[in-house]
Amino acid sequence: MKTEADYYALFDAYRSGGLAEEERATLEHRLAADPELARRLQEFEELTGTLTAYGRRLALRRKLHAIHADMDAERAVRLTPLAKAAEEDERHEQFATGRAPRPALRISRTEEKLRQFWHGHRATMMVAASVAVLAVFTTLLGMEMYRASQKPSLYGYTVLRREVERIKRNQRSMNRTLNQIDATATPEKVNPGKFSGTGFALTADGYLVTSYHVIQGADSLLIESRERQRYRAEPVFTDVAHDLAILQIKDKNFKGFGRLPYSFKRGQSDLGERVYTLGYPREDLVFNDGSLSARSGFEGDTGFYQISIPVNPGNSGGPLLDDRGNLIGIISGRQMDVQSAAFATKSSYLMRLVDSLGTAGAGKPYNMPRTNQLTGTSRPQQIRKLQDYVFVVKVYE
Amino acid sequence: MGKGQPSYTDEEFVAAIRRDDDRALAQLYRLHFPMISHYVLQNSGTEDEAKDVYQEGVMVFYEKVRDGSLELSCQIKTYLYAVCRRLWLKRLTDKTRFGGRLDDHEPYLETGAEADLEEAEERDRRLGTMAQALDRIGEPCRSLLEGFYLLDKSMQQLTAEFGYTNADNAKNQKYKCLVRLKKLFFNQYQEQI
Repeated sequence: MKTEADYYALFDAYRSGGLAEEERATLEHRLAADPELARRLQEFEELTGTLTAYGRRLALRRKLHAIHADMDAERAVRLTPLAKAAEEDERHEQFATGRAPRPALRISRTEEKLRQFWHGHRATMMVAASVAVLAVFTTLLGMEMYRASQKPSLYGYTVLRREVERIKRNQRSMNRTLNQIDATATPEKVNPGKFSGTGFALTADGYLVTSYHVIQGADSLLIESRERQRYRAEPVFTDVAHDLAILQIKDKNFKGFGRLPYSFKRGQSDLGERVYTLGYPREDLVFNDGSLSARSGFEGDTGFYQISIPVNPGNSGGPLLDDRGNLIGIISGRQMDVQSAAFATKSSYLMRLVDSLGTAGAGKPYNMPRTNQLTGTSRPQQIRKLQDYVFVVKVYE
Repeated sequence: MGKGQPSYTDEEFVAAIRRDDDRALAQLYRLHFPMISHYVLQNSGTEDEAKDVYQEGVMVFYEKVRDGSLELSCQIKTYLYAVCRRLWLKRLTDKTRFGGRLDDHEPYLETGAEADLEEAEERDRRLGTMAQALDRIGEPCRSLLEGFYLLDKSMQQLTAEFGYTNADNAKNQKYKCLVRLKKLFFNQYQEQI
């Protein structure tokens, strides 16, 4: 009985052709007859075949590693002389082709990593960058638009309410109270108000007109006459588009203005009309005159006149009268970049506003003055009559 | 590549590799490595991974050529690309477990790579089992078999190396080792199936 190892010896000899002719013939005969033996031969062949294949695989792997190592080494070697050669060639190349010399390809490990990172995430980073740029510009644009919408077309236009220099005035009033510490000081005098403008009487029973921007954002209003008589007032109606505000005096001490000497003009005035105004750009009443220079205001606004009166902050809300003592407008603002161009709301708009309020039936009807006592009198006489109806409007925020 | 080296056409490459021409293999290897390296780097791989994948791909190609069972219906370049791409995608899915987000929108190419890869996988499994069996067989069988079958040493050399009195003794030892290896190998191989 043969052992398995003996069979293997036999197969090995059979496969390597080391068997004699007759021995081979016997074996082949037996293989054909005995399936068990054939299976053994098959197993043997599979085993040795796998072993050789495994050996070849290992050899191939070694070979490929060697090739790769060679390649890496070559690349490393090629880079260094290349850099040198590039430097040497630099001069010739510049003369020959005028091209910029190629930079040396010496890459450190960190740079290699960075390059790989860049390589892999290039697209993502570019998208991110463009989104960032877009976001920045949209934000800037949006803010710009928002700001523009906040103050529409006021570029170059200056409203003329007077910003009271608070600190200065505070100091002055403090000094005053210190000086009058034992005298009978009036307590209201301490607070001078933040802004001031001018206003004038609309009716005899306590309605006044001023510019809307004077009382804009006001907490409380104080009307002060030429004789330092003070009344508390409240806004009744405002018209932002035409810069108008109607105030009503809410004070128990108020007894009425008396008969108003001027009347309001409902139509439009003509170009070249000589006009004047009274106002409180400072502590005292100030007169200024000029002509009506255009029948439209800033940027062609038809609700306004352009007048050539030098006006100052504090003139806002002042009355604009013509030679015959008709009130034709309310001072509103001026244009900074144009010589003596001031603007005044047309009285026709004021009349329209008053009429609409009257028909709306909000409270008492407005008893507008109908007669004009100023016509035909000289200007100093007109002003003497007028001055009691022009007031300082003080605004507290 | 380098100047002065012969450049082969695809048919010449196949013929040369069948002849066991190492220079042709080396040149083929160098020729297509940049392509695969680029592909792998583009798809979140590293230089080392590119090398592994490429070597595996070349091995599949090489073994098919040596078998004589290669039926090339396209360029070697396309074949290698297809094989390496499949290999890399498989690795990526193993690596990420999430599977998705791979740059695999390329048209399917009929390169025969899929079938060849399955075959190669089967072969890998068999060779892996063989490696395990060899690991477990113990000395001196392991050295003896490795010497004869893997390192192509002659029986005389091995007799001298292992101190056998004559070549017949060494041969007998080898056959005993083969029987042991057979048991280990077929047991494991069958288990896996």
